[in-house]
Amino acid sequence: MPELAIVNARKNYRSPRGDNLLALADFSLTIGGGRFVTVVGPSGCGKTTLLRMVGGLISADAGEIRLDGAPLTAPSPKMSMVFQGIGLMPWKTIEGNVALGIQLQAHRRTLTAKEADRVEATLGMVGLQGFEHYYPHQLSGGMQQRVGLARALVRQPEILLMDEPFGALDAQTRAVLQDELLNLWGRVKSTVLFITHDLDEAIYLSDLVIIMSRRPGRIKQVLEVNLPQPRYSYDARAEKEFARLRSVAWQSIKEEL
Amino acid sequence: MSQMTNLVPGPAPRNGRSMVGAIAGSQYLLAIVSIAVFFAIWQLVSMNVPPIILPAPAQVITAFVQLTASGELVRATAQTVWPFAVGLSIAFVVGTAVGLLLGIFRPAARLLDPYIFVFWSIPNIAWLPLFIAWFGVGTLTLVIFVFVSAVFPQLLTVEAGAKEADSFLVEVARSLGGSKREILHVVVLPSALPYIFAGLRIAVGRALVGIIVGQLLIVATGIGYMFQFYGETLSLAKYFAPLIVIAALAVLLNRAVNWAEHFFVPWKQRAFT
Repeated sequence: MPELAIVNARKNYRSPRGDNLLALADFSLTIGGGRFVTVVGPSGCGKTTLLRMVGGLISADAGEIRLDGAPLTAPSPKMSMVFQGIGLMPWKTIEGNVALGIQLQAHRRTLTAKEADRVEATLGMVGLQGFEHYYPHQLSGGMQQRVGLARALVRQPEILLMDEPFGALDAQTRAVLQDELLNLWGRVKSTVLFITHDLDEAIYLSDLVIIMSRRPGRIKQVLEVNLPQPRYSYDARAEKEFARLRSVAWQSIKEEL
Repeated sequence: MSQMTNLVPGPAPRNGRSMVGAIAGSQYLLAIVSIAVFFAIWQLVSMNVPPIILPAPAQVITAFVQLTASGELVRATAQTVWPFAVGLSIAFVVGTAVGLLLGIFRPAARLLDPYIFVFWSIPNIAWLPLFIAWFGVGTLTLVIFVFVSAVFPQLLTVEAGAKEADSFLVEVARSLGGSKREILHVVVLPSALPYIFAGLRIAVGRALVGIIVGQLLIVATGIGYMFQFYGETLSLAKYFAPLIVIAALAVLLNRAVNWAEHFFVPWKQRAFT
């Protein structure tokens, strides 16, 4: 089983004026085993810094990230990232954008027949069959994020990194996509590291909720969510346990605001 | 729930070109009415001023037919179009290539930008005596003058476009595993593509000015010389013939650039079509 270990990671930003801003201090966390792990915390607590570091986009000043035991210094083909800003290439069709996930992973411009089938299958999985030849600007925000999800899943990642992927969507679209993400996760069995500032979203989706302190970000509390999966099959948000967890999490996070 | 709810695509949108036929029809009607009104006003004004100030439409058309039949206009057009096309083509290729290079490779830009800016700031016409001294009075000088007129807008627009690449998209490509080379191919070049056409639109205009001014002042041939000759001899009806050719050429080229842009940049969102 893939294992992602963050060991004593530290990140400091220096402003042009020379001020230091410690975003993340001695952060350690190990995830894997196909679990859904969500990190929540007040804004500016270093959540996104953490994810960008794990994704290999920025390096740690101290400590390290290990994927299956090997130190990680650049974006890994075993991982996929989903961004709040989505980041579809406007000049590529939906199909082209999803194919890009494989092309940049395999460093090839052409896809094998098998890979082309996988692109089609993944588009079907996220409900975008028939939209292959559309351009991103012809799709709604929710549909665009489905493409972002497809581009990540088509790589068959061991670890799926998600940086507030539904943060820019309206409440209904967001709820629909949360359910569909749970459904997809049940099928692909990737380990998920999800970042959000929305407590309900965190509890609804995850096996494990990590609450971060205010900057510099440290782990403040870890909550196990024992509500049975898949949670879209019943009204998980109405469960007593859900309310209890939310109350605990809120108390904890309130102290950090 | 075995898969995500499948969304059903509507009729494929083609960049908002789903304009109702009726509106397109009324646009043609509008154009015809506009042209008719234009000629009517022209006729009216020409009836009330001496022909030396403004010839009547009929006189202009007669002169145009005459000059075409005698071969003068056709010959002049050929003399103009060739150096124009050669100079503009070279300017397009060189301007695009160097613009991309400077936009992508920052040290090259730091090295060359000051020179380019200085050369670009000098009014084209100031080069002419120098070019004549260097390259003589002939087609070569004309081509070089057209090239110099068109290359800077092309180069600077493309350079700006290549620098414009969205840093977020670069980051996304990087997170997917893209190498520097792949990112260039996948993000930087496509984002510069619309600018290649924006540059060309300006370059075409500048090249047209270049060829006319060049023919007027250097070689005394082609459309440029016709302007000079019929202007100085006050043959105003004939003066309009080369004007019509240049206007037609400008419109044609603009259309061609628009068409090429639609073809090569199909993703561009257009507010009005």
